[in-house]
Amino acid sequence: MRKGFQRRFDPIKVMTDSQVEAIHRATLDVLERTGIRFESVPALNLLKQKGCMVDYDTRIARIPPSFVEECIRMTPSSFSLKARDPKNDLRIGGSTLYFMSSAGARYTDARTGEVRTATPEENDQAVLISDALDTVDVFPSYTPYFEIEGVEPVMLCPTSLASRIRWTSKASRGAQATDTFIFETQLAQAVGMQLLGVCEAAAPLAYPEDAINAAFEYTGAGFPMFIAAGSVMGGSAPATIAGATITNNAELLGAVVLIQSMRPGTGIIGNDFVTPMDMQSGGFLFGALGVNLHQMAFNQLWTQVYKIPTVNCGAAFSNSKLIDYQSGYEKTHTAMVSALSGANCIVLHGGVTAELAYNPVLAIINDDVANVIGRTVEAFDVNEETMALELIHEVGPNPGSFLGEKHTLTHWKKEYFLPVVADRLSYDEWINQGKKSIIDRACERMEKILSTHKPLPITAEHDKDIERILEDARKHYRNKGLL
Amino acid sequence: MNEGLLAELKGAVLSFDKDKAEEAARRAIEQGVDPVSCADALADSLRIIGDQYSAGEVFIPELFVASRVAKVALSFITAEMRKQGKNVRSLGKVVIGTVFGDIHSIGKDIVATLLFAEGFEVVDVGVNVKADDFLKAVNDHKPDILALSALLTTTAMEQRNVIEGLKRAGVREKVKVLIGGSAINQEFADKIGADGYGATGPSGVKVARHLVAR
Repeated sequence: MRKGFQRRFDPIKVMTDSQVEAIHRATLDVLERTGIRFESVPALNLLKQKGCMVDYDTRIARIPPSFVEECIRMTPSSFSLKARDPKNDLRIGGSTLYFMSSAGARYTDARTGEVRTATPEENDQAVLISDALDTVDVFPSYTPYFEIEGVEPVMLCPTSLASRIRWTSKASRGAQATDTFIFETQLAQAVGMQLLGVCEAAAPLAYPEDAINAAFEYTGAGFPMFIAAGSVMGGSAPATIAGATITNNAELLGAVVLIQSMRPGTGIIGNDFVTPMDMQSGGFLFGALGVNLHQMAFNQLWTQVYKIPTVNCGAAFSNSKLIDYQSGYEKTHTAMVSALSGANCIVLHGGVTAELAYNPVLAIINDDVANVIGRTVEAFDVNEETMALELIHEVGPNPGSFLGEKHTLTHWKKEYFLPVVADRLSYDEWINQGKKSIIDRACERMEKILSTHKPLPITAEHDKDIERILEDARKHYRNKGLL
Repeated sequence: MNEGLLAELKGAVLSFDKDKAEEAARRAIEQGVDPVSCADALADSLRIIGDQYSAGEVFIPELFVASRVAKVALSFITAEMRKQGKNVRSLGKVVIGTVFGDIHSIGKDIVATLLFAEGFEVVDVGVNVKADDFLKAVNDHKPDILALSALLTTTAMEQRNVIEGLKRAGVREKVKVLIGGSAINQEFADKIGADGYGATGPSGVKVARHLVAR
């Protein structure tokens, strides 16, 4: 099992207890009075059986507060996720912090920011590189690239999962688009792993049929679930943090109710992916202040009050088109806030140019960022040995030095983190070594990974199963006229 | 027997064990092992640590602790060598200190340790050292190199005062002057008439080797 990072202090709170209570009460009010639209008759039937008020014409289910709270209690505070290699299994929840790789539609040139469709080889290589990065614990759906040269759009999700099964033994999330969940479930089961199933809302307050069908399929397979509601403040959610917290909360608790009705006790991780709208362009403001505050409110409610694990997407993307200062600070401050406010998983590595692009060079740089953030929440030991009181007396004032002390030798590596690709050279050394930037150094690490790292291979039999399932998927989509 | 004790000495330095190093040095002397071989074994172990440091495999704390362990053993070994009228092999002698007005010691300590690990005999005269005291140390110890450290921009000019003092006393040509510190660059070193400058500890050691090889 992957250890992740263990937070050792109470998460920070952005709301008072009475504010939390007010948000929760308002959420229950939305669920009971306005309800959630579920675009699926089987889902509405199920919710009706459980005591919800269902209107089949509008496809809206109004959920009684007592049932919402019962479903919150039914959801475990932690759950396991089985990877292809048992040493990469996860236990999500509690004080554990994991990192999920980010994604992007296309490949971006690390130096120029020019974007183009990734080749299948580039997709496989990007997966292999993240397999080698210690801080990537789990992969999202259709990642690293949403588009792969020569792969039909409808086949992207299953093809992408097949690549992740072949090039990494770490855990993965499934996707929900157009029946892909049928084939992704089969692919995972063929190699003995679970997926983090997915059910994503169409904000405000609605779940499309694909999302509900995916939830039926993944919970039917006994997989834990990743629930999400990617709303945009001022668009599909109120412009205020408090208002957007209420609608996002209602959407996600709607999914909790649906999933616990399908299969009681299913492990769930709630995703926060709420961004303010750019009121000039209508786009998303990734890395904005509103993202931080929303994530903090969400983590406080879910991890501290509901005791349901959380994942935050605020650090997944940056509006910067380049791997530069902006992408660095937008990802770092949002990820740090997530970690300090108790997120169990942070989506971080490699995504840039809003959601349009990904580059493994950035994933390598983000590996250092993830380590710094993870080590921050692990804090430090305070005991007789680490306080070093006797040693402080012994060394005394300047010119006393702690450098030659065994205490320094014993503890410094544990207490420090040495970034792998950050430039720490003196100015003269930097000149003499060719004025390398962090991108140069990350490219060097990437080349080394590509020439040395070998992911755990799959068997020839598994390889055949994967090809067979992909062929079944092609037949299925051809029959539906989608291919 | 000798081989075993020499390996123990080396092993004590490489495992950073001061007590073992002292005990192995005492037994080596008691059992009549040639003290020059003992000194060579200690120098070998420091060279291994020094190489590991250059390769980025170990870091300054390892280098410092290993040097401290070696120094403990070496104090017994050199006493025995003096008794037997034998000399310690070294690349050269260095007097090192931080200049007057500056009490920063870490940079100077790092260079002193790196020089020791490299095989130089090092006389550390401390911090906040006046030009006259550097001159006295040069006259007393007759070093091959005088190494001056100054962290602050404001104290960097004190390095020039030390060099001027050496000139006035007529000993400038008898010693090479190596300077270092975060405010120092080659242009400054040339301007004040130093023989060499190191941007970092390891580069200072390279310059020191170069200066004694001339």
